[in-house]
Amino acid sequence: MRLAVELVAGVGVGGAIGWGLDWWLGTKPIFFLLFLGLGIAGGMTNVFRSARRMNAAVSERQRTERTAGDSPSSRDEV
Amino acid sequence: MATPSAETGVVLDPMHQFVVQPIVPLHIGGLDVSFTNSSLFMVLAVVLISLFTLASVGSRSLVPGRMQSLAELSYEFVANMVRENAGTEGMKYFPFIFSLFMFILFANMLGMIPYAFTITSHIIITFALALAVFIGVTAIGFMKHGLGYFRLIVPHGAPAVLLPLLVVIELISYLTRPISLSVRLFANMLAGHTMLKVFAGFVVMMGVLGGWLPLLAMVAFTGLEFLVAFLQAYVFAILACIYLNDALHLH
Repeated sequence: MRLAVELVAGVGVGGAIGWGLDWWLGTKPIFFLLFLGLGIAGGMTNVFRSARRMNAAVSERQRTERTAGDSPSSRDEV
Repeated sequence: MATPSAETGVVLDPMHQFVVQPIVPLHIGGLDVSFTNSSLFMVLAVVLISLFTLASVGSRSLVPGRMQSLAELSYEFVANMVRENAGTEGMKYFPFIFSLFMFILFANMLGMIPYAFTITSHIIITFALALAVFIGVTAIGFMKHGLGYFRLIVPHGAPAVLLPLLVVIELISYLTRPISLSVRLFANMLAGHTMLKVFAGFVVMMGVLGGWLPLLAMVAFTGLEFLVAFLQAYVFAILACIYLNDALHLH
């Protein structure tokens, strides 16, 4: 859900910019197609970034859990 | 959309809950500024948050009571979120993030009460909130770094030939922030509440004999919706923190 929204938003914004440029300059499909492609690329970048962020959050949590799990045993040894 | 079922005569319209109805019609200079049910729940959310925070810290006892520890808990929760994601520099903007989080949380939770209106299920509300974050963060970035803030959209170590293309892609990816931020919250609330009403409609349609299964699903979905209501407020606030971090510390 989160990643899908990122991709769709990228495509939407890219398409909107392209459509606006076409409307302004009167070059009907050129900028729309160009920016649609760029929008897809931008959306993909965002998907990658948020996926990496989720990954980082999960591994961070695992690390803190591991250290939290370690401390009682080390305390036992002491 | 309304389909009266033959047996019960109950009108089932899962989208009816999202209709904005004026309570006090008001027109100023051709603009419709009526006080609607949406406005009512916004005011209600703000009043409840104010009561919650003011009343619970009113006593300021060293050993907190129930309400005070709830307020302290929410303060700690948001403060930790800001500190972890935007650094200690970000704590300057803690009041904004806290207000944002509490407003969305209370709006979502108020929406879970039967017959209540869910203000966050309207894209104009979530988009206005997201736009406030976007404009605020961009302004902070430019105030802190001046024109150097444009470095945010220039990737490191990219070949010079690809740079124009990458800058445009980064710019679009930056501009999608308010869209994805608002659509995520709005879509989650809209979809969840529509689903609840559709299943409630099944309970009525299938009657005493077959209605138990959708009723069971309703109970489960209601629990899930409470989780979503909290989670979406959290996601909105944490993404605001991450954007703030980008503006404060250029990579």
